Amino acid sequence: MPSVHARATFEQLALPLLPSLYNHACWLTRNQTEAEDLAQEAISKALRAFDSFQEGTNFKAWIFRILHNTFLTSRTGIAASRTVFLEDHLPVDETPSTDPSPEDNLIRLAHQAALHTALDQLQPPLREALLLCDVEELKYKDIALILDVPIGTVMSRISRARLALRQLLQPQFGKSK
Amino acid sequence: MTDEHLNSEQISAFIDYELSLDESQALQQHLDVCHACSLRVLSAMQLKGAIALAGRRFALQPDALVRLAASVQARQQQPVQKSPRRLFAMPAVAWSALAASLVLMVGLIVSQQRRENGTLTAELLDQHLATLSSAASPQVISTDRHTVKPWFQGKLPFSFNLPETTALPADTMLKGADFTYLRGEPAALLLFTIHKHQVSIFMTQRGGQILTPPSATRSGFSIRSATTQDLRLVAVSDVNPADLDLLLSTLAQAQADH
Repeated sequence: MPSVHARATFEQLALPLLPSLYNHACWLTRNQTEAEDLAQEAISKALRAFDSFQEGTNFKAWIFRILHNTFLTSRTGIAASRTVFLEDHLPVDETPSTDPSPEDNLIRLAHQAALHTALDQLQPPLREALLLCDVEELKYKDIALILDVPIGTVMSRISRARLALRQLLQPQFGKSK
Repeated sequence: MTDEHLNSEQISAFIDYELSLDESQALQQHLDVCHACSLRVLSAMQLKGAIALAGRRFALQPDALVRLAASVQARQQQPVQKSPRRLFAMPAVAWSALAASLVLMVGLIVSQQRRENGTLTAELLDQHLATLSSAASPQVISTDRHTVKPWFQGKLPFSFNLPETTALPADTMLKGADFTYLRGEPAALLLFTIHKHQVSIFMTQRGGQILTPPSATRSGFSIRSATTQDLRLVAVSDVNPADLDLLLSTLAQAQADH
């Protein structure tokens, strides 16, 4: 177990992240009770492994990696992993357009329900990369560490997630006009 | 770089501040001359902001926060203790940790409120900046309060009043309005001009989730607030803050006369 000093340091670093860890755990498990259990287990593992944390590196990325890995080995995570995710490099429509995009409408109609639905429909690996970037404000290199994938894959997943969101939002905003 | 349109990965990396200085400058040069890509970058930034808001969907409830915080502290003293799901199941030694957690919880809630205020300010600025775009025309274009106010009927869960044109401060004019959402709550966005400066007035219902943002100046834009018995009014503009306050007080007075 870590020393008393290390425990105090861990507490200082971990406690402010509890809301973020719980929110991310909810997105992973899609169940609030499971999310709380997952967050607790990740915290427990992080404390036990705190000696291996290198001071000066990103603690948030480190503990989110533990959360991610804990999820992967959970019952829900194992079940989710049975769904094969076709990784990256699929062709995408890159045609620039000057027409109002879904995001132009979002600024006016920032319809949370529509965005929630679209986020729900994203493939989990794309959604997780996107949420780590936009919600947790982590850098690509830290996301790569958490997800244990190359940084190019992170870039690709985030880009594809945003394109997919645009496509998912388009018909909903089309109806609202 | 400067002749070809940007691809989605370049735009993502740009708005995520993941490009090197050289890459970012090269991309910026292209944006200076390409309207289509500039719009795509603007759209991507707006989407990023909306995701940041929507992605924080699962708020940690105070009781769950106490349980998690207590578990962090309890684990430090009882490493083999099974994670407690109920407060009553905790060992005696954990009760002192719980007391500390309660103090911490208050701190975290205050911290969350500060974060909320920062996010709200960013959203207000984003929406105001979007109204400045030449491509953005108001959903209802009119200088007549008798046109603008009825347009919101059935769209908002509240009503509001607008002053007569003659009651507005000097050189102040209503230009139109948008129906919008602020922090996920329906809002009236009234568009005015004061001395050719564009002004956005956001009207929301009091008692909702939205906090009243403190007066602030961000990137040259002033944010001012006023409240009436039922409404919260927030103004954003680069006009003189005193002029902004005058318009806000006129609008607040109009609600009192409602």
